[in-house]
Amino acid sequence: MAELFESVNWALIAPLIVIQLILQVVALIDWFRIERTNGPKIMWLFIILLLNMIGPILYFVIGRRQE
Amino acid sequence: MMQFLTVFKREMLESGRNFKWIWVPLVFILLGLSDPLSTYYLPQIIESVGGLPEGASFDIPTPPPHDVLMMSLAQFSQLGVLVISLMSMGLIASERKSGVAELVLVKPVKYSTYVSAKWTATSVLVLVSLFAGLLASWYYVNLLFGDISFLHLLATWFFYGLWLLFVISISVFMNSLFKVPGLVGFMTIVLVILTSIVTTVLNHILDWSPAKLSPYIRMMLSEGNISGDLWATALITIGISIALLAAAIYTFRTKEMA
Repeated sequence: MAELFESVNWALIAPLIVIQLILQVVALIDWFRIERTNGPKIMWLFIILLLNMIGPILYFVIGRRQE
Repeated sequence: MMQFLTVFKREMLESGRNFKWIWVPLVFILLGLSDPLSTYYLPQIIESVGGLPEGASFDIPTPPPHDVLMMSLAQFSQLGVLVISLMSMGLIASERKSGVAELVLVKPVKYSTYVSAKWTATSVLVLVSLFAGLLASWYYVNLLFGDISFLHLLATWFFYGLWLLFVISISVFMNSLFKVPGLVGFMTIVLVILTSIVTTVLNHILDWSPAKLSPYIRMMLSEGNISGDLWATALITIGISIALLAAAIYTFRTKEMA
């Protein structure tokens, strides 16, 4: 694994990480502001925080109430 | 026209509040980035995962630049379409369910204005997102694999955008048929998949089916010129989309609202 980390050009990967962070932060802000979600609200907090990339997207697509 | 703008603006405001204007473009950028990157690092990934017998080696040929761009398009066709149909499934259906649609239509707003303004608002969001995603993919392809001209990127955006507009039209049509958002999303996905399957099965008859936009775009990218087939397919796609919208407006009129 160490070799892999050295061989990767981090300037290339950085945008991915930044986008993923923005998604996560926006999802969190929305999570704090929203009153109710589909399913238990606390569950979505864990999904947003623990699932990289997919968590915030899942939250926006399914977790927010369609209103 | 004024009414159209009012409904349109309200819809834009709504998607801003929902953070749609942030997360949809970001998702498309993510989808666009992932394939050029993972293709580029494929040899390293295989090496680090291991499991290959000692001494085994195989060369993975570097794909030509336009193939990598097409991989991103394939990504948009799967996850992108999924996101679009899930995002737009509540477009009208949930407003009918909650009664907001009634509030809007009590005022002298025409059904056609209401439906087309919503369609336009979603389309603008999706087209901008698609452009952001394609731009990201194009930038990485140019960096890692080789040149694709910007004009080709614009053409890809235009023609592929038509396919996504087709998906949105299906979704709006389904919104007029069903009241439950989940059902709308499901039926939209089913219809899109059905279009692809029918096109594959009747490949020799359906030369200009909307689902053939992607293959023709691939041809355009590899050969460099826009074929007559691509134009014809584009026109057909626009035609079907308009017909779907008209059908949606018609069903709204005849159906008891909300």
